[in-house]
Amino acid sequence: MLHTKIVDLKKEQVNLDSANKFIASSKFGASIIFTGTVRELNENKKVTGITYDAHDAMVIKSFKEIYDEVDDKLKIKDKAVFIEHVKGYVGLGELSIIIAVATPHRAECFILSRYIIEEIKKRSPIWKKEHYENEESEWLKGTSINVNQ
Amino acid sequence: MKIKLELFGASRDFSDKEYLEFNIQNKISIKELRKKIITYIDTNFSGNENFKKIIENSAFCSEDNNIISDNYKITKDQKIGIIPPIGGG
Repeated sequence: MLHTKIVDLKKEQVNLDSANKFIASSKFGASIIFTGTVRELNENKKVTGITYDAHDAMVIKSFKEIYDEVDDKLKIKDKAVFIEHVKGYVGLGELSIIIAVATPHRAECFILSRYIIEEIKKRSPIWKKEHYENEESEWLKGTSINVNQ
Repeated sequence: MKIKLELFGASRDFSDKEYLEFNIQNKISIKELRKKIITYIDTNFSGNENFKKIIENSAFCSEDNNIISDNYKITKDQKIGIIPPIGGG
């Protein structure tokens, strides 16, 4: 069971209640809600906020691929996964991503949650432009996607 | 033929618009398109080295949202996305 969405902050907000509702089931004995938020310091620079950009269609595709491969790679068949990532300006302490997962047992739940965020970092076309106290801003360097697969 | 290059992430600084347009005579590979974009940077941004580095380190994606290799040939009007190094979360 999978829910994915890019949340355009010009139109709506991410919502933890939706994540909780989606993964709630008596089938599952363990659940984890991972959230990413904007922190105030990066590489000794005082951050005031981050603008997120995304290739929406490719991001959603990558979320589905990550979910689909979990069956084989992690052998976790029974699961509920809720992934929402924002796009637009996010202030300090505000949410950029919610990954909510539920599974029958706790061990697989921890593994699944960690796996999803690490794979998103490597594979989902999302970019961050950091804004600083001195009113400057810059796109963060990031990781190249392999161009010659 | 017209190639509409959709800009994302750091490549958004290449233009005030959300895309660049290239009019190309013959079919062209991604490798060659990469060179065309670098020429555009040379002309419009005095060869800005940071911008060129972004192009060199970027992947590209097709209209049907697949990452395409440097050998991929564009043979007709098409939208292509430039995918600079990523890092969400």
